[in-house]
Amino acid sequence: MRMSLAQRVLLTWLFTLLFLIMLVLKLDEKAPWNWFLIFIPIWIFDTILLVMIIVKMAGRCKSGYDPRNGSQNLKKKAWYLAAMLLKLAFCLALCAKLEQFPVMNLTYVFIPLWALLIGGMIELGYNIFYVRRD
Amino acid sequence: MLFSLRELVQWLGFAPFELLLQALALLVASVLLVLKVDGVATGLSWWGVFAPFFAADGLSTYFTTIVSVRLFQDGEKRLAVLRLFWILTLLSLKFVFEMLLCQKLGEQSHELWYGLIMAPVFILLQLLMIRACRVN
Repeated sequence: MRMSLAQRVLLTWLFTLLFLIMLVLKLDEKAPWNWFLIFIPIWIFDTILLVMIIVKMAGRCKSGYDPRNGSQNLKKKAWYLAAMLLKLAFCLALCAKLEQFPVMNLTYVFIPLWALLIGGMIELGYNIFYVRRD
Repeated sequence: MLFSLRELVQWLGFAPFELLLQALALLVASVLLVLKVDGVATGLSWWGVFAPFFAADGLSTYFTTIVSVRLFQDGEKRLAVLRLFWILTLLSLKFVFEMLLCQKLGEQSHELWYGLIMAPVFILLQLLMIRACRVN
């Protein structure tokens, strides 16, 4: 079952709004909560996305699945999975830095984000310059 | 992932090239942020850290103006005006947010609270939701 664009937009919008509200409350010192609690909307959203990707990848194992053109699709899904894990690693490292390890170098926190951004930009660049030329 | 590039372009109204520009700005700004916070580039001001975002906003505005002028010349007047207004609204809200955040971080001003700084982002989110309903 595939979600419609409206449902996907609503899901993204709702979790972003919730996260921003909690972030503002924390930054303005109105809510003395742990940073891991502030990130709850992000954890839920990431879990939903991860489950969706894993279910789609597992769909290949069903009997009667047509493997033609499947390797390209699987590569894409594997990249999405890696991207989600990188985003999750960045958020976890950021929370850990803010909550418990203030002396930890920020470089280590940002390495997953940089990997994610570089990967995303390569994919976007491929779509802009290579696919269009085709 | 959740959205295809085509859906993202349709929803946000930005061209893929502009998305690439904003992603590049985020990458450069995050590197500058790390250099500043880790004490490698202590002389770097907060305005310097945010400079890639300002540059990306400027380039995006330039790109949008060119596209709108071309659309206008091709007779697509309504589309040109709508695109120009939408992108300029998004970019100006983003710019206000970045400027307020920069001011807060640089001067540690107590009059600026984060709820106020985030106000343009909340407006942006509502606009994006309305546009999503229209796109559908």
